[in-house]
Amino acid sequence: MIKRSFIKLTGPRLLCDQVEPDPKKPETIPIPPRLVLLLHEPLDSTRETLIKKGDTVKRGERLFLYKESTEYAVSPVSGTITSIASYTGDFGTIATYFIVERDEKDTPSNGFAEIADTPNLKSADSFLRSLPGAPPLSRFTDPDCKINTLVIEGTDSDLMSTTRQYLLATSKEEIKRGIQILRQMTGVAKIAITVPENASDDLSAEGVQVFKISQVYPKALPQMIMQDHLEIIPVPGATCEDQGVTFMSIEAVISLAKAYAQKEPVFEKVLTVIAKDGTRHRVKAVIGTPLHRIFKQFKLQTNERDRIIVGGPMMGHAAYTLYHPVGPDTDTVQIQDRDAIPYVSDYPCINCGKCVRVCPANVPVNLLVRYLEADLYEEAADNFDLQSCIECGLCSYVCTARIPLFQYIQLGKHQLIELETEANNA
Amino acid sequence: MHKQNKYTVSHAPFWHDGDTVTTLNQNIILAALPAAIFGILKFGAPALGVLALAVSTAMLWELAFNFISKREITIADYDSAAIGLLVGMMLPATAPWWIVLIGTLIAVVMGKMIYGGIGGNPFNPAVVGISVLLVSWNAIFDFDAALLNYEFGFTALAPLGALKHQGVAAMDLFQIKELAMGNQVGSIGTVFGAGIILGGIYLILRGYIRWEISLSYVAGILITAFLFRLVNPDLYASPLFHLFTGYTLLGAFFLAPENSSSPVNLTAMIIYGAMGGVMTILIRNVGSYADGTVFAILLINLINPLIDRIRPQALGKGVNNA
Repeated sequence: MIKRSFIKLTGPRLLCDQVEPDPKKPETIPIPPRLVLLLHEPLDSTRETLIKKGDTVKRGERLFLYKESTEYAVSPVSGTITSIASYTGDFGTIATYFIVERDEKDTPSNGFAEIADTPNLKSADSFLRSLPGAPPLSRFTDPDCKINTLVIEGTDSDLMSTTRQYLLATSKEEIKRGIQILRQMTGVAKIAITVPENASDDLSAEGVQVFKISQVYPKALPQMIMQDHLEIIPVPGATCEDQGVTFMSIEAVISLAKAYAQKEPVFEKVLTVIAKDGTRHRVKAVIGTPLHRIFKQFKLQTNERDRIIVGGPMMGHAAYTLYHPVGPDTDTVQIQDRDAIPYVSDYPCINCGKCVRVCPANVPVNLLVRYLEADLYEEAADNFDLQSCIECGLCSYVCTARIPLFQYIQLGKHQLIELETEANNA
Repeated sequence: MHKQNKYTVSHAPFWHDGDTVTTLNQNIILAALPAAIFGILKFGAPALGVLALAVSTAMLWELAFNFISKREITIADYDSAAIGLLVGMMLPATAPWWIVLIGTLIAVVMGKMIYGGIGGNPFNPAVVGISVLLVSWNAIFDFDAALLNYEFGFTALAPLGALKHQGVAAMDLFQIKELAMGNQVGSIGTVFGAGIILGGIYLILRGYIRWEISLSYVAGILITAFLFRLVNPDLYASPLFHLFTGYTLLGAFFLAPENSSSPVNLTAMIIYGAMGGVMTILIRNVGSYADGTVFAILLINLINPLIDRIRPQALGKGVNNA
């Protein structure tokens, strides 16, 4: 963890990591015998699922939970489903996981190959949603949001991660091809790409706008990019997509290019693995690889009460099991030693104002938290700008009283949605 | 599946800048030490006695209140220690023990604990304590009488008292440099102006107090006193005289920027600080008290919730929350 500097007239200056000048190639993790696939749809125990335990699946086959399901997971290997169960995430979100036991046959499914000659949005959305980088293709097909700007993120939004920067620096050809495919497929008017401020990039020749993003956290966050470079002020409570902008990881662009070139979906995700002592390993692992496989490869020990962080230190989430899989959007995995975990407390706000100073969205966090602590979510949203929060986590990072402010804010937003659904259903 | 470790699961962010309430208060105490130690050297063992009693009783009052209200014991955060130290620093070295006891009782219990403890107090606890003492036992704060038995190598007159009673002619008795270096009669921790400024600069640089408040408070003092002097130099003392006498500097760096009772937004902080400076000089020049700092701070504490509504618009919000 980064401690405050001794002299601190202004807020903290957290700098995002930069990829090394001559980056090493990622190490490939062998495909494990058992893969875990997460599907963002709750399992209903009263109904019979479409895919059942014992079913065989092919490589690249889509797994739907029910007949009317739109969400799907794609199996990166051929094999047998050995287990289907519920997975509980943050704020009680329920997902389903499949465990696929790999067989040696490696039979491919040819569903995508049949339509790969003519890239089109609808077919891409129905086959490629879980490509590495998780392309938000469904946003383009959604009639409710009219996307006119696509921002490709060549910068990592959280600290510590260099995955996207690495890909930006090393896969120029694929990026160009991917952008072509995307332009053709989506017909989106404006395509922009974010690059680190010191990167010299020749992608502008493609008719793509290049946004140079400052290294200072949280400048690479979607809402900040919208504000600083697109000059669109994020509307509180609305997503970027509601305002016509969608963000796509650079890895998604590369995977799209590769998928259409090979006429087969790709499954290898690049990610940065950070050990307790800060050493980094760049890794290529198949989506669905349980984290313990990666740790084993590098002989990384995890002990009781350590923290396994999926994502960056500011916005990631903590995994509760080593069987947590590498997902399409997993850019970083790190292990935090139990002694390095800063404590949080239930102390009241002492009104020191550090959070107000540091907030990039000018949210009056000191007042907001008092309402959130008292479960007054609607007042918090109406009078204290709950919805303006861009979820960078800086307020919690600086809080002297160690209040889990970011968690309160997320909880508040979550509760507001619940209240809204309740009101709509009533 | 083999037996698994249990991992710590909590919400992001997973890093912290390392600050705690304890370090905050320890730094405030550290910053107050130069002035306090100077007071001990100057006024001797009685001063040490007052400070020690003030700090210890302040912590004991909080402990007692924790027991009575059946709450968690919170004295380890040093907050009441800091309050006690500030109360002690505002008392004369010869203050009787019961005054110290009552002062810290009012400061900690009435000033802080009854509002729910740290962070809930609308007024600066130390200022509440001293104000009550000042109104109830005004004679204690007659520094000339209090320090009658001391032999000093300089003008043994409380500067603000002299100003009140003898008029601006008394100003000739004091030199600004002497006042700043602590060669003046006053309370334990407020005579050494240079030491308080040193501590204040330390707190500002380390980010433990909000510099906007301190600077605008000092600016408020200087500008108001200057204007008074501009109108009638025969009646009103100079800005620097006001700055280095009484509780002014302690107010600027330790009392006004107290976290809970002061605003956090830029415009509000500047109004708050400047108002404090203006009110201090108004009370001194127009009011009946020799030193108005504590009352000025109570007044700005009072308007704090109101002016702290002046805040920048949050991201994407219209012009409706000013």
